[in-house]
Amino acid sequence: MSLIRRLLVFTVFLCASAAIGVSAQSSSLTKSDRASTVSSVPAEVLVILAKEEAGTIDPQLAKMTALRRPPFNSFRSMHILSRPKLQLTPGKDALVSLPNGRRMKLTLLRVMPDGRYKVKAAINRPDKSDYLPLLQVIASAGDPFFVAGQTYQGGTLVVGVIVDPKKTSE
Amino acid sequence: MESLKKEDERLQMFFDGELAPEDEVAVRRELERSPEGATQLREWEQLRSAMKRVSAEWAGEIDSDALFARIESDIGAPVVPIEHAKPKLPALRVVPGGRERRVWGGVATGFAAAAAIFLAVMAWPDPQLDPTPVIRGSEVLEADFGSNTGTIFEVEGGAGESLAVVWIDDEEVGLP
Repeated sequence: MSLIRRLLVFTVFLCASAAIGVSAQSSSLTKSDRASTVSSVPAEVLVILAKEEAGTIDPQLAKMTALRRPPFNSFRSMHILSRPKLQLTPGKDALVSLPNGRRMKLTLLRVMPDGRYKVKAAINRPDKSDYLPLLQVIASAGDPFFVAGQTYQGGTLVVGVIVDPKKTSE
Repeated sequence: MESLKKEDERLQMFFDGELAPEDEVAVRRELERSPEGATQLREWEQLRSAMKRVSAEWAGEIDSDALFARIESDIGAPVVPIEHAKPKLPALRVVPGGRERRVWGGVATGFAAAAAIFLAVMAWPDPQLDPTPVIRGSEVLEADFGSNTGTIFEVEGGAGESLAVVWIDDEEVGLP
């Protein structure tokens, strides 16, 4: 192999290695920086009144198959009371008023390296910590977590929280 | 052995007439007394006469005058220089620029190829370089139920993902 060919091959491999290294570093930086660069994430709260009496299931809940499985399978009627949308900003509390006078406080703690969201939630009456002082959850985009059990108007409140609902797959 | 060889050479010289006269007389006397020597001398004499006869026959067949005439004509001919065949050289082509230019051309080509690879790598979709599997669902990290009792469930979602459900008994709250 001539000198020129050797030099050519060496240069190509050297630069290709550098390119892959820079790209990989850029990719990892993109992931790690994601948590610190996220300004706010949209979220949606489903406030559902579920009852054991026979009734109807809100059509908007038809795709949420989780609500037909235990421990929700004892409910035969479900109605959406409210569906507030909010923005979760890291370090800032977002408040959602519940029909029973309590308030749900949601805080985005961070975005995990795998893209999931770490969220803190609390449900209490104003200036009190009488129900759910603290709940920390990790949720992937579009996948809900539920807080249920509060009694209201002869039924049970089921509160579903969906972070980044645009990416929901349900 | 050595004396036999010398004796044979001496006899050969006698046959050829190369001995001194006194030596020739001495050898002749010895041959008269030795039948083997006389026999040997006779055989050589027969061989000589046979060779002379053959030589005379060959000489008769050759036209010596014509042979000498040809030799003289060849000697008198003008000298013609012998042209040696030129060695065949390999085909060459003229390449503009020196070796240095070719080297830099190679380096430039290498950098161009590397740049193409760099762009291809950078433009490649992230999933190719990010093998982290997508984790679905939700999970509870920490729960403080306060003075209430609660249960944490896992419910299967529509895509098979695990969804967290926190169920808290509501005993203290009253309607506002």
